[in-house]
Amino acid sequence: MTRTILSLASLSLATLAALLLVTAGCRPASSSQSASRLVLTGSSTVAPLAAEIGKRFEASSGIRVDVQTGGSSRGLADARQGLADIGMASRALEAGEEDLASFTIARDGICVIVHRDNPVARLSDAQVVEIFTGRIADWGAVGGAPGPVTVVNKAEGRSTLELFLKHFGIDNRQVRASVVIGDNEQGIKTVAGQAGAVGYVSIGAAEHAAARGVPIKLLPMRSVAATTANVRGGRYPLARPLNLVTLGEPKEPARRFIDFARSEAVHDLVEDLSLVPALESLAAGEASRPSPTES
Amino acid sequence: MVDHEMWGSTPARGRTDRLVAAVVWLAATVVTAVFLWILADLLRHGAGQISWTFLTAAPASAGRAGGIGPILVSTAWILAVCLAVALPLGLGTAVLLAELTSAEDAFGRLVRRSLDVLAGVPSIVFGLFGNALFCVYLGLGFSILSGGLTLACMVLPILIRSAEEGLRAVPDEYRLGGAALGLSRGKILLHLLLPAAVPGLIVGVVLGFGRAIAETAALIFTSGYVDRMPGSVHDSGRALSIHIYDLGVNIPGGETNAYATALVLVAILLLTNTAASLLGDRLRGRHAES
Repeated sequence: MTRTILSLASLSLATLAALLLVTAGCRPASSSQSASRLVLTGSSTVAPLAAEIGKRFEASSGIRVDVQTGGSSRGLADARQGLADIGMASRALEAGEEDLASFTIARDGICVIVHRDNPVARLSDAQVVEIFTGRIADWGAVGGAPGPVTVVNKAEGRSTLELFLKHFGIDNRQVRASVVIGDNEQGIKTVAGQAGAVGYVSIGAAEHAAARGVPIKLLPMRSVAATTANVRGGRYPLARPLNLVTLGEPKEPARRFIDFARSEAVHDLVEDLSLVPALESLAAGEASRPSPTES
Repeated sequence: MVDHEMWGSTPARGRTDRLVAAVVWLAATVVTAVFLWILADLLRHGAGQISWTFLTAAPASAGRAGGIGPILVSTAWILAVCLAVALPLGLGTAVLLAELTSAEDAFGRLVRRSLDVLAGVPSIVFGLFGNALFCVYLGLGFSILSGGLTLACMVLPILIRSAEEGLRAVPDEYRLGGAALGLSRGKILLHLLLPAAVPGLIVGVVLGFGRAIAETAALIFTSGYVDRMPGSVHDSGRALSIHIYDLGVNIPGGETNAYATALVLVAILLLTNTAASLLGDRLRGRHAES
């Protein structure tokens, strides 16, 4: 009777409860305590690089490296709470974050991009500011063919956005954006699809796309051409560090992984993702303070 | 009759009919064209990549080289966990709603209302909830298990609503006939109602499966980003959709493999849909014979 059906329903509930209990019972040791496993979380820009470095590290050391994404803020928060052994952040640490130690594993430049058919060849810093704050709304005002400017801005919370705004001294509320985008590839696609668009993305990604034939143009900044070579040489003015972050000084095996990620053994992986190895750029006289206490 | 009035043959009505027919055909054509366009785009960019090696090899160079072997395995495990949990729970709830509560019953209304709300919750909310509950609170960490359980929560509303519709569509004569033969309600349910409701159940499973395999936001914080071959359900495993997302937006030059992976995902969807409808036809046929 009714009981049969009710027991069917309770059976299914019991299935779930049992599954949860069993899995909770035999759960593996918490990530942070395990000596043979490392968990990294954070920036989606650093994650693909860290995952590739992790595979190589795993092959030589036998220590498992699990990389998860979620953004720089999440990386810092997880490192702080012990949910991750190492956090990943695509920006330098700021004031108030002194409890964390950061280690630069690569650098990435940010450049302004326009459509390839746009005759504008350069923009001064002042012009960039006026365009992004809406004071210049027509390409005719900066030497281009007359036509409306479509400003492509990054979404709140993206470290590229923070770095760009800081460099040009703009407040995000002043930005008159027509399009708000998330990742680099999305920004490139948006600008490539609209003749009057202007945006800013990672130089590595833009260089790669332009080489593939995507119709975009990388504008020089303060007369320095936007190339990974110039980021490497430390000449390009707008670059950001890609950092590994730990709470306090890193313990084993995180220490070993960080050393490995900063060694020459992974430079090919860094370059393969259109980024610039960190130590090289520092050796070339980068203006920023040396790691590991870079902030 | 209504039919007669609607489809009458005065000249004015004839024109309206033709207009309505044209609009309806246009709508259907547009919908199909969008699907075919997507499929053609995927085939054009991705078909060249597909090979046995692509389907079995591990990804290399952040997914731009190598294949998607471990990602296919992780996806299958996540879906298996999801369906293993969601099916019994969903079926149980559907039986309760359709057979044991009337439309006015307060508890039934509460359950239905919560399901409707759940069905409209954005998947990122499920992802954050799953991360907080399964990964952190229950200590499962980034794992296939966390991902599957999160997806189960997400597909339950679809599953339950379709199964309930299926059960409600069974004519009352079945129940009365069964009762007249002196069958218990349990037997009526198992031998008459559930087989007759199979088409509805299959629709629910297909919709749920489709939503689960296409899900990105709910999985990125639960089953995670690791593209290693999973050793157990406690390992983190990257799902197909997350791989596509990562290659599409994060990896310069990842587009070709993103297309190829998307093509594989669409092929899996098409295959499961076809298999489910074939299975539905067969079960229905057998039910009609017996």
